[in-house]
Amino acid sequence: MSLSKILGTRALSVVLAIAFCFGLDAFVTGQLNEYVVRLVMLAGLYVTLSVSLNLINGITGQFSIGHAAFYMVGAYSAGIVSNAIYKTQPLAAPAYMIISMLIGAVFAAIAGLIVGMPSLRLKGDYLAIVTLGFGEIIRIIVLNQNQWGGSYGYAIAPKYQAGWLIWLLAIICIATCRNLLKSAHGLAFLAVREDEIAAQAMGVNVTKTKVVAFIVGAAFAGAAGALFGHMESFVNPDLFKMEVSFLVLTMVVLGGSGSITGSVLAGATLFILPELPRIVSFKMSLGLLLSVLLGIGVLVWMNRKFLEKYHEPDKVKRTLVVAGANIGLVVLAIVVGKLLNNVPVFGTTNYDANKIRYMILAVVLLVIMLLKPTGLLGHHEFSWDWVKRVLNRNKTGEASA
Amino acid sequence: MDLVLHSVGGLSLDFSTLPQQLVNGLVVGAIYALIALGYTMVYGVLRLINFAHGEVFMLGAYTALLSSWVMGFTPDAISKAFKADQPLTSSPLNLVIMLLVAMAVCAIIGAIIEFFAYRPMRNQSRIAALITAIGVSLFLQYAGQLFLPANPPPSISQEVNPYQKVVSFVLSPAQMNAAGDVIKPQMDITVTVGKIVMLVTVVILMLALTYLVRYTKAGRAMRAASHDFDSASLMGINVNRVVTFTFMLGSALAGAGAMMLATFEGTAMHPFFGLQPGVKAFVAAVLGGIGNIPGAVLGGLLMGLAETLVTWIGFSQYKDAVAFVILILILLVRPGGLLGSNKVEKV
Amino acid sequence: MPLLCLKDATIKFGGLTAVNKVCFDIEKGDLFGLIGPNGAGKTTCFNLITGVYEPTSGDIDFLGTRICGMAPNKIAEIGICRTFQNIRLFGTLSALENVMVGAYLRHKTSLLGGFMLTPAVIKETAELRKKAMELLSVVNLTDVANSRACDLSYGKQRRLEIARAMATDPKLILLDEPAAGMNPYEKDELRSVVFKIRDDYEKTVLLIEHDMKFVMGLCEKIVVLDHGEEIAYGDPSEIRNNPKVIEAYLGEPV
Repeated sequence: MSLSKILGTRALSVVLAIAFCFGLDAFVTGQLNEYVVRLVMLAGLYVTLSVSLNLINGITGQFSIGHAAFYMVGAYSAGIVSNAIYKTQPLAAPAYMIISMLIGAVFAAIAGLIVGMPSLRLKGDYLAIVTLGFGEIIRIIVLNQNQWGGSYGYAIAPKYQAGWLIWLLAIICIATCRNLLKSAHGLAFLAVREDEIAAQAMGVNVTKTKVVAFIVGAAFAGAAGALFGHMESFVNPDLFKMEVSFLVLTMVVLGGSGSITGSVLAGATLFILPELPRIVSFKMSLGLLLSVLLGIGVLVWMNRKFLEKYHEPDKVKRTLVVAGANIGLVVLAIVVGKLLNNVPVFGTTNYDANKIRYMILAVVLLVIMLLKPTGLLGHHEFSWDWVKRVLNRNKTGEASA
Repeated sequence: MDLVLHSVGGLSLDFSTLPQQLVNGLVVGAIYALIALGYTMVYGVLRLINFAHGEVFMLGAYTALLSSWVMGFTPDAISKAFKADQPLTSSPLNLVIMLLVAMAVCAIIGAIIEFFAYRPMRNQSRIAALITAIGVSLFLQYAGQLFLPANPPPSISQEVNPYQKVVSFVLSPAQMNAAGDVIKPQMDITVTVGKIVMLVTVVILMLALTYLVRYTKAGRAMRAASHDFDSASLMGINVNRVVTFTFMLGSALAGAGAMMLATFEGTAMHPFFGLQPGVKAFVAAVLGGIGNIPGAVLGGLLMGLAETLVTWIGFSQYKDAVAFVILILILLVRPGGLLGSNKVEKV
Repeated sequence: MPLLCLKDATIKFGGLTAVNKVCFDIEKGDLFGLIGPNGAGKTTCFNLITGVYEPTSGDIDFLGTRICGMAPNKIAEIGICRTFQNIRLFGTLSALENVMVGAYLRHKTSLLGGFMLTPAVIKETAELRKKAMELLSVVNLTDVANSRACDLSYGKQRRLEIARAMATDPKLILLDEPAAGMNPYEKDELRSVVFKIRDDYEKTVLLIEHDMKFVMGLCEKIVVLDHGEEIAYGDPSEIRNNPKVIEAYLGEPV
């Protein structure tokens, strides 16, 4: 590829990214429904979180499950600095955002450095536990700081809902990771994931690679945390509990560990789970709930067994049959649920949607792990080549038919 | 009073309460040790951190609660009896039944979890298995929130506990000066009989476990599988059965621990009740050297002591963070744990 | 000055002395063999040279500098690279990418540039890819350049490991049982690859091998280890007739 062509593509993508952010801003300011605005912003934040965790987990292979800690460090550090400035020298709102983002990123990067250190000695599930423990330690420390509001919470000024900035951050995060994978430097990260000893023997500086992954991943999470703090203008330690880390982890795993595309897609969809009770406030009967759970169980089991035994060369036919069987099962589950509803014990008790949101998260996690442990996309990435290949395949398919 | 309140680095330490705190630590530590055994045995055989073990513990506590209700010790019945001036009395048999039911139910739950969630993951990466374990843990917590009584957090009625008598061991009597002021308070250890019963039960359970692992055929198969899973299966050991057995054994111990904690400490329970003891017991297992049975017991006791000592020093709000600090330190200094061995990857 | 020089290199694991006072010099351009029965300490010797283990006592010098205690990646940087007995490729990466990881050692652009994908990085990545393709053709793997390493056959994986090590541009390349599990045809192919490495690329080669015919036909100098001790040193004909070597392999004469 020639240099001019590279620079041309680069300029085009920057223009597109800026246009996207402006378009988003226009859309957001035009919105009357504030909740929709909030959802758009949350989606951006979670995309940043999952893509940055993917850098640590999926690309470098360091099993970190305490990502909420970096998010929290970013939110609190940026909030504290921003409050201090606000008292003495009020600035324009976007200026605060930029400063906060940088502060959040820097402090989270320091936290990332500290968490990254154990990764030099520990592997796999041990490292996972340490990262989880680190997150809890930070949360408990903040919980006991009365000057930051303790468990009650900490008010952050000014309140500013920077949708365009949140998505700009997400795009920068995606671009950074994608650039890395496109360059030879990315191979060093992948090599550390695949085999540390061999990577080191080939001259890869494993220490530096791991620490950089932690620092960069944490910095993006911290920047996201800073923007989250200003968006909510009030944060408390409960917003950064283990569940948040698990949610981000689920996104990475669901999308396919190592796949940036997968992380983006999963981040932009699964973020809705914690918001579920605000969107839908329905009550479920015990019967319906049981039948849904049972249905999911049978679905998983059937798909496993069925896909093992069923060998149909025609992909279209195969997809149709499997999809049909699955839809049939879902319908069956609903019918069973409706029938159970007529039985007194199963029909009367009401269960709040609020309480089932994390159960859905757990079920999603389990179903992915049982059906496709490599995630939906595996290590694959979206690329225009891939689109072209698929289109061409369809064309040749039609021609031969 | 000033004589006993020593000031160390700005902290006031009351040494007269230290023996009592140590005993309290021992009691909590014994429970951690019971739970830690489950983690350590499963890790020994499958190299899997069974994240859902804390939830099994939670379900054990609820099982004990429900079985006490079935035996007639419901809050309603108790208040009715109290009004009628005929308080309910309990016999040790009730406690034995509760213990056995909790252990049996937990064993079954452990086997079910293993069969449905972990068995399909056997050939996947360890990371995938760990994520599955997190999934199971979340699922049980939130399913518990839906189906189990939680609001207000219920606790086992103390009427079911016949061992409420308090015994006190005086270590050194109070000293007074001529004016009759106490210059040194009495140093003593006060425990309920229940806690003594609990410690004895824990010791019995651990002895039974040791016997089971050392001298029975099932125990030998377990040790073989933990030494080398694949070779064990090639040598004709039914590893699936060994794994199920290990899960049942570990879960039963967690159930016993939960029942005793809920009965003798009277702790109120909720669906997230297993999280903290679970995490601490896991730390205990790592501290002692994960995969190592005596290590789990040692680690559990040390965890219990560390926690009460932190409270004693005056940092009770950081009690829950202590576990993680210990964990991180131990992993960095001696990743194999106190009694474990450090394995180096062969190149 | 010899290229690599082991002086009384010793390592103990607890009570076991895995390598005991081993001394040998490798000159530039040597085709050097390291043989011995199972458990003689050959791979441990490799691990000492490449920095996986640090010797308990003794010295290892490379081009006159002491390399004991250096991190493995530093040792790779100054010009020693190896293959592994139990193949350690980057499984899910393609064959080409595996070799590129080796070539990455000589990169000049900064990591920050990598995150921004500067034109210099793009250019360098293209160069590394070209270099990797070239090395793949040396080991006859061009046709599988884009297959995942873990999907390759055993013989191909072994050759890929050699190409990956070559890509780091080493002065000394260590091959740990390169012919293990290969059929006679693959072994012939391997022999020509090793000669090519030495003659066309002017590398020095140190290899461990069990197949005596292969070693004798390939190496010019051979060191024999047994139970961590060095029992013989010489050219193939000397080694073949050395009574100690015969004893180590076949047992005491009756």
